[in-house]
Amino acid sequence: MDDVELRLPPDVAYVGLARLVVTVAARQAGLPGERIEDLKIAVSEAVANAMKSHVRHGVVAPVRLVFGTKDPGFFAVSVTDAGSGFDPSPPAVGADRDWALESGLGVTLIRGMADAVEFSRDGGMVVRMRFSIAANGISALPPSAM
Amino acid sequence: MELSLNHRKEGDRTVLEVGGEVDVYTAPKLREKLVELVGEGNYQIVVDMTKVEFLDSTGLGVLVGGLKRVRSHDGSLSLVCNQERILKIFRITGLTKVFPIHDSLDEALQDTE
Repeated sequence: MDDVELRLPPDVAYVGLARLVVTVAARQAGLPGERIEDLKIAVSEAVANAMKSHVRHGVVAPVRLVFGTKDPGFFAVSVTDAGSGFDPSPPAVGADRDWALESGLGVTLIRGMADAVEFSRDGGMVVRMRFSIAANGISALPPSAM
Repeated sequence: MELSLNHRKEGDRTVLEVGGEVDVYTAPKLREKLVELVGEGNYQIVVDMTKVEFLDSTGLGVLVGGLKRVRSHDGSLSLVCNQERILKIFRITGLTKVFPIHDSLDEALQDTE
């Protein structure tokens, strides 16, 4: 499966859509069922952090996801935001949410669910996650089936 | 799938049945419901998560917030969860040590702490 790119408006209402699209692609790529659950969580957390970062910093540009199996044996997803990343910047005065707690838990979940994860900066924050496709996971779909 | 929230009294406990997806988009509704229940004097809460299909860190944060709220009234908040995929989320984040987690609602209601 070649890399597929998805651009989402920076609104947490679209996190569910990101989860759905990436999950379908991973299933077609042969990622086993129990790993699909791990992928769902990791992608949701990474996308949610990116969206929240855009919203907090007033960035209207889309959040970018790229996913595919270019790296043999792996389903890889990268999530790129254009904001200043999700390094917990001080929450806005009067914010009723525990941002630090939630994004801390989010990063913990990403690390716990993905087989490999890499955080880097490229303008915004880039989260690259990899999920191993088990040897018995059949990944025989031709690109045209996507 | 949307989030569903239903609550009822079971003796001195208030059971909040949560179903569907608890994520960054829907979790604020769960937060509102917990705030409302505590505001109405429900301090012994059992959150039944048997029908939860997806839970993310925002949902976890909301549950932690609910726990803090009931504790400030000497109350308790326990969870009912028997799905491995959801339990895994509590384990990875270390929250199995924070919440009493039960396999069934009966077990949760029998637990007098």
